[in-house]
Amino acid sequence: MKISTKGRYGLRAMVDLAVYSTREHVSLNNIAERQMISVNYLEQVFSVLRNAGLVKSVKGAQGGYILADEPSKIHVGSILRALEGELSVIEYESSECRNMIQACLKEMIWDRMNECLNGMVDSITLEDLANDYRRLNGLDAITYYI
Amino acid sequence: MKISTRGQYGLEALVYIALNSSAGPVSIRNIASYCNISEAYILQIFLVLRKAGIVSSIRGAQGGYVLSRKPSEINVKQVLEVLEGPLTPVACIVKECEEPCVRYDICSTRLLWEMIRKRLDSLACSITVADLVEHFHAMDAMQNPDYCI
Repeated sequence: MKISTKGRYGLRAMVDLAVYSTREHVSLNNIAERQMISVNYLEQVFSVLRNAGLVKSVKGAQGGYILADEPSKIHVGSILRALEGELSVIEYESSECRNMIQACLKEMIWDRMNECLNGMVDSITLEDLANDYRRLNGLDAITYYI
Repeated sequence: MKISTRGQYGLEALVYIALNSSAGPVSIRNIASYCNISEAYILQIFLVLRKAGIVSSIRGAQGGYVLSRKPSEINVKQVLEVLEGPLTPVACIVKECEEPCVRYDICSTRLLWEMIRKRLDSLACSITVADLVEHFHAMDAMQNPDYCI
């Protein structure tokens, strides 16, 4: 049960945007540097995020990316689903039950795990993760607005 | 984040044994035929489950497998962990992680992955083979209302 590199790096990049794009667009180079992810990889990830309507891009010298909405309105679930597809603890094909024990396991384990997983990512927003990021990186103390 | 067929068949086989062991050990052939997978695959899974002390093999003409513990003492987390490894959405939060991440301490997404892991762990811990058997019987009674005569 693994979230792929795309989902992990994509989520980290979105947290970076939430923290740093409060005033201006952020270039992929800056995200790449801070998050230690290659620019090439970020380009792939951001084309998916842009198609999903989660980020907006601006071309030009001052160009870059910005979140399409407030961090408090973007749920982690939307980001992960855009990058990973439906979130499930088991392979989708095998979710069809061929006997009654499998149907029993589905109801008792897989459906409940999926509900737990999806409920969690849909209750946590990018703002929550951005706040954690600021705290862990000592950005709390900085006064942005004077 | 996927639990493979190994974990799924492992649990299916354990419930099958729990449901059918009143008449003695359950043969690999019967398990394989019910689960509709090869005997070799079941044997491979059972080798791991036997080492973990979850099933025992009984030799002889009427031999086969039995649960080593009461169904209420085997939970889903134990079974999935021996067959699949830790129930984690990402590798970096596991102690035995082969490539520790240099950003571990400052990563906010790590907190999310840890929270997901914790919740899934405790859910898997709370479901035992006995619960699965009980639910199976309840489903069976719903489907076959004339079951009890």
